[in-house]
Amino acid sequence: MRSRHPGSGAPVSGPPDDELDAAALAERYGLERIGARPALIPYVRDIWQRRHFLWTLASGRAYTRNTDNYLGQVWSILNPLLLAGTYYLVFGVLLTTRGGTQNYVAFLTTGIFIFSFISTAISSGASAITGNLSLVRALHFPRALLPLSIAVAELINLIPTIVVMLLIIALSGEPITWTWLLLVPAVAMITLFNAGCALITARIVATARDVRNLIPVGTRLLRYFSGVFYSIDYYATDSLASLVLAYQPVALYIDIVRSCVLVETPLQAHLWWLGAGWAVLFSVVGFIMFWRAEERYGRD
Amino acid sequence: MAGTDPRRFEEIDFEADATDVPEGAAPGSEAHESPLGPPSLIVDDLHIRYRIVGAGKRQAVTDGPAPGRVRRLLNRGGQHVGATEVHAVRGVSFVAHTGESIGIVGRNGAGKSTLLRAIAGLIPPSQGAVYVGGTSSLLGVNAALMSSLTGERNIMLGGLALGLTPQQVRERFDDIVEFAGIGEFVYMPMKAYSSGMAARLRFAISTAAIPDVLMIDEALATGDAEFRARSSEKIREVKDHAGTVFLVSHSNKAITQMCDRALWIEQGEIIMDGPSDEVVAAYAKSLKR
Repeated sequence: MRSRHPGSGAPVSGPPDDELDAAALAERYGLERIGARPALIPYVRDIWQRRHFLWTLASGRAYTRNTDNYLGQVWSILNPLLLAGTYYLVFGVLLTTRGGTQNYVAFLTTGIFIFSFISTAISSGASAITGNLSLVRALHFPRALLPLSIAVAELINLIPTIVVMLLIIALSGEPITWTWLLLVPAVAMITLFNAGCALITARIVATARDVRNLIPVGTRLLRYFSGVFYSIDYYATDSLASLVLAYQPVALYIDIVRSCVLVETPLQAHLWWLGAGWAVLFSVVGFIMFWRAEERYGRD
Repeated sequence: MAGTDPRRFEEIDFEADATDVPEGAAPGSEAHESPLGPPSLIVDDLHIRYRIVGAGKRQAVTDGPAPGRVRRLLNRGGQHVGATEVHAVRGVSFVAHTGESIGIVGRNGAGKSTLLRAIAGLIPPSQGAVYVGGTSSLLGVNAALMSSLTGERNIMLGGLALGLTPQQVRERFDDIVEFAGIGEFVYMPMKAYSSGMAARLRFAISTAAIPDVLMIDEALATGDAEFRARSSEKIREVKDHAGTVFLVSHSNKAITQMCDRALWIEQGEIIMDGPSDEVVAAYAKSLKR
């Protein structure tokens, strides 16, 4: 094996082992204290070393979602289709919130699909630790891999959804342009934001698990505040309200994706900078917040 | 243990059937002749408290006069709100050395499994500290990985979680399947496995990497005679690599045969620490009383 005990074999000077206290004895034989939180840099390095584990965990999770049904993975395409149909019925036909939009079908589809990409990451992130306690108590690995794997699993699940989304958009009469390729950096940005959200909710729910019950309320509020099925510019007339609504991260990301695929929404550079800023802010804050409780996960 | 293992009913004493450990499997007396290596694990005044959420305060249901109707109504609410704290391990200290195998005995709920999880670094200590040299891994029978994935994917998942590279897992894949003895079932979801098969696969995955400190929780109580023999072989392998083995078992015979030292835990405290035959004899005597 490796050389594990730097002290072993070498002649030991000083008092005999029996007279040392535990910490000094551990130091003499090069033992490390476990359960102590690792420093931030080694923690990041450890996560990087386990990236294959992260990927296997994420793809396993993405795959298992639909294994209980006979149609299996077909549901990963059927579900978003049904969702889009429902929303179109309610908001496109019955309530008609199409004000300020030209191609409402494409506008709505992007809104719903991108929103559910974000909201699922938030709500699954909430149970990243509490839902995997058996894994946490059985194996030793950086716990941040659990919420991170949720963000990656959502990304994997997004791929068929995005294909459906683009199909609907093309069928609704939107021209296919080069700007569709900008979806790649946009989705990368949102995934980074999702990872931050999952880390934050995982940490909060692991510490105060009652908060789990508030997550659905939170995502529902977010749904109505993010211009998923209406145009914020058109309906929010108060300048301050419209500013807050348009620049909060979820609405911003939906807007950015719309600007990639819809002709009616203009591409604006400052929105991209802002989106990148939100993603970095959430992921850094989320990561540090999660890491600070690393030694406490799994206690109850 | 009380909170971590919902399958308490399985924790019957396996003494009756766990007798198939091959004779001469590192009996205690032999191992004592070799001098102890340097310390590999130090436990210093370890306390574990954990919360059971949603259990509420315990109330006297059986003793005392029957409470009034209003009182009962009030109490009923309290029973389902809040959390109960369990003080499972209370001030345990010991030093383990390389090449040593240590059995942990005690009644159900004495805190054996919690102690094992804590020294494996899986449950954070509420007070005190655990120091370990090298890698440690815990083998348990109740920890499934992802039940809806195939055994094949679980092997990859478990191997990677243990810190192996994908290449190393692929190299050891055949050995793991062979050791677990599950054959073609490896390509089926783990939820289709019998509990014995799942436990064997889990054991095989965990021993794919030889750790410096190996901890086994009741693993020898599952599986057939052949599997038990192979498990004890694995334990010897770890000891040969100058590792340390911890074994929690309800089989006194397994402890005396496989371990040279034993800890007797009662209510989260060490009652006795010494050569396994002496400790097990004292423990067995206390059970008969």
